[in-house]
Amino acid sequence: MTEVVTKDELGEAFAMFYGMAAAIGDMVEPAPEMDDAERVQRAKDTFLHGLDGTFALQLDVCVHCGACAEACQFYIGTEDPAYVPVRKLDLMKRVYQRELSPLRWLHRLTTPEITADDLRAQQTLVYDACTMCGRCNLVCPSGINISEMVHLNREALAAAGLMPDELRFMDDGQAADGTIFGADADLFRFRIEDLEQRLGFAIPVDKESADVLLVTSGLDIHLFRDATGGAIETLTHMGIDYTLLSDAYEGANFGLLSGDVKVQKELTRKLTEAAIRIGAKVVIVPECGHSFPALRWGAAESVGKPVPFDVMTVSEYFGRAVMDGRLTLEPQKHEKPIALHDPCKVGRWGGVFDEPRAILKACGYDLHETDSSRTYNFCCGGGAGNFLIERADPLKRAGYRVKMNEIEKTGAESLVVSCGSCRMNFEVGKVKAGDTMPVESLAAVIAAHLPKTPKEAAE
Amino acid sequence: MTLLDFARGPALEWAAVIFVVGLFWRIGGLIFLARARPLSRNRRDDLWRGGWRMVWSRFVPNRVFRDRISLQFLAGWVWHVGFFVVLLMFEVHILFFEGLFGLSWPALPNTVILVAAAVTAGLLVMLLIRRATQPVLRAISGFDDYASVVVVLLPLLTGLASYAHLGLAYETMLALHLLSVALLLVWLPFSKLVHVITMLPSRYVMGVKFWRRGVEV
Repeated sequence: MTEVVTKDELGEAFAMFYGMAAAIGDMVEPAPEMDDAERVQRAKDTFLHGLDGTFALQLDVCVHCGACAEACQFYIGTEDPAYVPVRKLDLMKRVYQRELSPLRWLHRLTTPEITADDLRAQQTLVYDACTMCGRCNLVCPSGINISEMVHLNREALAAAGLMPDELRFMDDGQAADGTIFGADADLFRFRIEDLEQRLGFAIPVDKESADVLLVTSGLDIHLFRDATGGAIETLTHMGIDYTLLSDAYEGANFGLLSGDVKVQKELTRKLTEAAIRIGAKVVIVPECGHSFPALRWGAAESVGKPVPFDVMTVSEYFGRAVMDGRLTLEPQKHEKPIALHDPCKVGRWGGVFDEPRAILKACGYDLHETDSSRTYNFCCGGGAGNFLIERADPLKRAGYRVKMNEIEKTGAESLVVSCGSCRMNFEVGKVKAGDTMPVESLAAVIAAHLPKTPKEAAE
Repeated sequence: MTLLDFARGPALEWAAVIFVVGLFWRIGGLIFLARARPLSRNRRDDLWRGGWRMVWSRFVPNRVFRDRISLQFLAGWVWHVGFFVVLLMFEVHILFFEGLFGLSWPALPNTVILVAAAVTAGLLVMLLIRRATQPVLRAISGFDDYASVVVVLLPLLTGLASYAHLGLAYETMLALHLLSVALLLVWLPFSKLVHVITMLPSRYVMGVKFWRRGVEV
């Protein structure tokens, strides 16, 4: 593997990036004015638009057993009943009961209308105290899809102009220029040139057609260059016909995270149309957890018809190549055991479990699984954009602690992740908790185990 | 008309009508709501397998949750089974159903029914106290949650009292038992007790969702 970023460079970039993220609160414009009646109306319209028969069935079936609390790391970490997952659906349930339920004539007598103050109070519950990881869905005896209904709550709050400042800043920024943290096309080209110099080969950009479209993210462009660099190095090693596109390189989607459906669909549509334009058979999304569902489950919806390409995350694409024998990695002797973190949106919500494990096995690692692994994995504590919300810091730290306790219990001495925001949250969590476990990118791990060329071997 | 005549006559008949109409109204209303259909490609086909799998798997909590919720699940299991054993396997109830539907089946010994009823009622009382005192449950509980436990508890308590000839005169206690059954029938379609119908379909749709995404739960 060619070192595309040194430890010092990564440390400097991390400090800069952390400062940039922390300054969002100072940079953000005031939220647009909106009177309370309009906020309530917009929120109700959004709820009613999103509430289909399946959600209605699941809102009706809850027996209030409280089991979901025992799966949620924000409750486990704080023991505050305010954070019981199903409680986050109360507002939505009131709208359902009054407006849509078959028993609405009865519920209108007993269920109060939602108010703007209710919506303001809801902000903490569905943004700060929920990463929509979906672990609560796994314990509910009724199988209620709490996490996706929390997303509908985010959509309602976004429509009511009540998303947290940090996410509004990111959402507005991406609506304006399509990317995040100012990682515009110039910076993208700069990073590609930087990677070309370090890797020693030309990186295909803006090819008119290619089998594979590789997408990156502003987080990788600024900070985690080893993740994108690792993917590029491995694709080149495999001889894949791939390209990056200077008009469709951003995989992050803050429309999805913030609940701004319009921006979410527009960003996804742009990537989808670019992939169709170049005739891509596969789009590889970066090590960015939410970019996977945004495209994998959203591409067809964004253009209103099935799409002619597959969407895979980095770990899935290379993991399958390893499993199929199309990619051979060179196992090395790793003395220390490692742990693996499955990003929720890729694992629990995407079914990608075997692939990263196949990669680590092929690299010769001794993988120690956490007690709650694969489908039952805990979130990093800062997913779904939470890692940017400053006031949510105590909750993020509580969530991080629950996760890190499980990792430490495995006896692993390093952690591999395939999601930039998980990685960011682990890095910040480590600094704040005084932990020292190294956190590595899976894409970088793959690149580090590519068989040496004869020239490299001779050197 | 005595209280007992009223209870086993108009009260039960009207309760049955409300029960049936209410259930049709509530379940029908849910069935006729539109459902979103995804356009994205499934990661796995044979979606029914995922739905069916989850219908069954969710009867027992996964290993990772057992330390935290096993007792709660066990208590839930025991009282649900106990309730249905008492309802369906008590000789007198079977005679009642035979008169109604013309079908009968073997009964369990009265002692077993008595123990099942006592255990079920005891557990329900404990769960009611737990709901009122445990912070998580208090935070998410409303009138429906408390009332539903009481409405399920009443037929058990009045049934036990009738059987053991406790409290009021036997006819009065039997009338109260039948009235509590009528209350349960009226309450069920309009309360969270409707989960006896909706829980398994809810599991099914969630199982399909996960399966579609390549996740077995």
